[in-house]
Amino acid sequence: MPDFTTGVVVIGGGSTGAGALRDLAMRGIDAMLIEKGDLASGTTGRSHGLLHSGGRYCVNDLAAAIECVEEGRILRRIARTAIEDTGGYFLSVTEEDEAWEPRFVEGCAKAGITCERISLDEARRREPALSKQVRTAFWLPEDGHLDPFYLVMGNVESARRRGAQVRTYTEVTGFTREGDRVTGVITRDAVTGEQTSIGCQAVINATGAWSGFVAKLLDVEVKVVPVKGVMVVLSHRLAHAAINRCHKPGDGDIVVPGLSVAILGTTARRVPHPEVLPIEWDEVRLMLEEGAMMLDGVTAARAMRAYAGVRPLYDLGAEAEGREMSRNFAVIDHEERDGVAGFTSIVGGKVTTYRLMAERVTHVVARKLGVTTPCSTADVPLNDRDDELDQLRHRPAQMGAPKPHLGEDYLKPLVCECELVRPEDADPWLEDPAVRGLEDMRRRTRAGMGPCQAAVCSYRLAGRLVTARHQDGAMATRAMADFLETRWRGVRHVFWGSQLRQAQVTTGLHLELFNLDRQLMLENRPPPVGEDHGVGLAEAAQATRPR
Amino acid sequence: MISDDLDLITDTVEEQAPVEACTKCTACNTVCPVARSTEIFRGPKYLGPESERYRDQHEATVTAGLDLCSGCKLCEVTCPSQVSIQEYIRRAQNKGAREKGRTLRDWMLGHTRLLSAFGSMTAPLANFGNRNPVVRLAMEKLVGIHRKRPLPRYQWLTFERWFKRRRQQAATLTLPRKERTVAYFYGCWVNYNERRLGEMVVHILERNGVNVIVPKQQCCGIPAVVNSNIDLARTYGVENVRRLSTLPAGVDIIASSTSCGLMLKHDYSHLLDIPGAEPVGSRTYDICEYLWMLHEAGDLDLTFEPLDTRVLYHAPCHLKSHGMGYPATRLLRLIPGVHLEEVDEGCCGISGTFGVKVEKYDLSMKIGSRLFEAVKAAGSDSVLADCETCRMQVEHGAGARSSHPVEILARAYGYR
Repeated sequence: MPDFTTGVVVIGGGSTGAGALRDLAMRGIDAMLIEKGDLASGTTGRSHGLLHSGGRYCVNDLAAAIECVEEGRILRRIARTAIEDTGGYFLSVTEEDEAWEPRFVEGCAKAGITCERISLDEARRREPALSKQVRTAFWLPEDGHLDPFYLVMGNVESARRRGAQVRTYTEVTGFTREGDRVTGVITRDAVTGEQTSIGCQAVINATGAWSGFVAKLLDVEVKVVPVKGVMVVLSHRLAHAAINRCHKPGDGDIVVPGLSVAILGTTARRVPHPEVLPIEWDEVRLMLEEGAMMLDGVTAARAMRAYAGVRPLYDLGAEAEGREMSRNFAVIDHEERDGVAGFTSIVGGKVTTYRLMAERVTHVVARKLGVTTPCSTADVPLNDRDDELDQLRHRPAQMGAPKPHLGEDYLKPLVCECELVRPEDADPWLEDPAVRGLEDMRRRTRAGMGPCQAAVCSYRLAGRLVTARHQDGAMATRAMADFLETRWRGVRHVFWGSQLRQAQVTTGLHLELFNLDRQLMLENRPPPVGEDHGVGLAEAAQATRPR
Repeated sequence: MISDDLDLITDTVEEQAPVEACTKCTACNTVCPVARSTEIFRGPKYLGPESERYRDQHEATVTAGLDLCSGCKLCEVTCPSQVSIQEYIRRAQNKGAREKGRTLRDWMLGHTRLLSAFGSMTAPLANFGNRNPVVRLAMEKLVGIHRKRPLPRYQWLTFERWFKRRRQQAATLTLPRKERTVAYFYGCWVNYNERRLGEMVVHILERNGVNVIVPKQQCCGIPAVVNSNIDLARTYGVENVRRLSTLPAGVDIIASSTSCGLMLKHDYSHLLDIPGAEPVGSRTYDICEYLWMLHEAGDLDLTFEPLDTRVLYHAPCHLKSHGMGYPATRLLRLIPGVHLEEVDEGCCGISGTFGVKVEKYDLSMKIGSRLFEAVKAAGSDSVLADCETCRMQVEHGAGARSSHPVEILARAYGYR
């Protein structure tokens, strides 16, 4: 007997899963989202945040480009707050790039992408940081920045308001079946280890790069190729608009201005497992070198951290590898393909097209449940009720200018000074049971995403865990240590200049003053989930300390 | 990481934009006298490098809290990463004021020289008015100058005219030929309010074989800088740099006001970015700094009259920005019979025109309260401070007599 039942279980708390949850809820279907980590902690949260105009795919992957065009326009309507209309440039830097131009212009025309060639003088006037090597500039006004965290939280909050439920840090360990029909999932709480059996009529597998692992629990094969991408975060936006190289999509050819930072991306290397994402120095170096070809100041800026995400490329059986593979997506009806009823997978795709993916998979599942309500996710904005979501989270507007802070009284100290997070921005999330640790707070408030990488906000947030959540001191300290540990794993790839000095301050503050390493060493716990392995904060401090 | 690979990266402390260098260590907030005294101030770290990351020349400036920065510069002195915290705050203040307009009060306080010239011309009347409770009440209501704040006394005879007169008299005398010549940047305070300090500076320098000349000069610009008017300060600065650049080589510039000296030395070439300011700054010295250099060269006249006096020394915040230590204390310890004690209680709170303003007066007195208590407890003859507004504040808050350190030196040289 299941512990409780719901209509549809959506596995995976990325943009697709959150989108599907919202879509189900809007069609009036009872739904629950199960995520083994936190929302937006996998592929979505580790994307570079480029809202694709489609320009990047228009030559090699026209179908994906057309989807980007359509979905980009829809997202601008429904997820206004998550999007910053930066526009974008496609820049030719070398002769080969110039040879690519006619195909690019043709592709844009075919896909219906607005693309305008502008003079170099005009481009330099708008973007003074353009490098001297730039030969040609195309202006694509529909490129933008999409905040992946805000997008997922927005979808989830919208679904919750319609009755959907969310369980984070809950892993699906098995399924219950009756003959060929899936009748429920068995989950395990990642923290308490508690097993729960959830009965349902259908399951949507929206676990992206992890789809194969989930399908395997039902002895069904889903071939997803995990392809790693490495990104480097700089502490300020070097340009107003997104910067792309006008060439065959390759490594390090995008610079995205996202809120208060710039993100250099990315690489494409096939990895054996979606959670093994080592970041190599040559990849970081490549990001800086390639970025510097398009923008001045890339190598002089303060690199804050490097991170790696994994693309969930769906193997359509072609011989393609990495970038050659289509960014298109597919809905796999396992009843039809494998004879397993009540189980549907959605694979491939990208964040920009998440809504369409959710619509397609929800459509298949809803039809099976006999629900004929049409999809309305393209018409109803995420924050449809009195902008509740906007009230939940004040965020820096364009150029991260602290606009919401205008006219505000300046009495209260901030929680995170780097990202201007106020106590009232953080507090509502402390009441959300989906939030377990401080990394989860980061994804919802941006606290800890600035130059100091949680050196300061970590202890302030830990304090709020005690005062607002009534956790005991030891638990809050552990939460702080975990937060610093995951931050550290990104920071250690950019140890030079400012960030190296920053690390000295951070370690001095937390390890010397707060004696945090003693606690970390005593516990001897494995590193937090979902990060590549390597030397941790405490080990590094121990190694460099005189004995 | 292989060391050869580092050639790619130029993010180093020397070359990078200073806002990038902030490591959030919070050292600046811990020394900030305003942050220490009020809960409503987020401190220099927030107003400086952190907000700077979000400031955009095309967007309206967030001004909340900016006006609470008193401009003492202690944050900059303290910053281990050499971040120009004050410059960011000043530029944002200036931009905010440009967008929103300046109040009459801030405009007036920025135009100190104009105001002082007027006060000096109408000295008896101005001084009467400044001490008249009815006038002060009106000033508080209309302009926003706190009624309890004693305003400086104006003198009808300016230092400029005194010096001109003296030179005409001296022309008839035969003065011994001097090896050294200095140009005295006396500043508005000496010119309009405390001519006697200028007289003492001239006397001490001449006694030590230094020829003093007084070039024509404009306000240094610091009152404009701290009243959100960098544009005006720059106009003044350009004029001063132009005039002072024409001084013959080998002529050093002396300032007896801490803040004027700091403007010449540092802010003209940094905050105000005035072309040609660097060579002017590099030959500018604080009066006590210069005299100590004379001493180190073995040229300071040490034939002091012994004094029997116990004095306290308060180091002004802007003096700390000079990065020269406390030369006044070293000098005064050369004089027999001077018992000097340093009161290390931080900022006095007035910060130039900050503590004059009606909404800042209480805060200013609160910041200075530690200093006042210490001065009262010490029960000394007088409190020495290099900065004129510090002296005003100490006299007002602690009820003690306060003077510039050179006054003790002048007394020891028999100047009456």
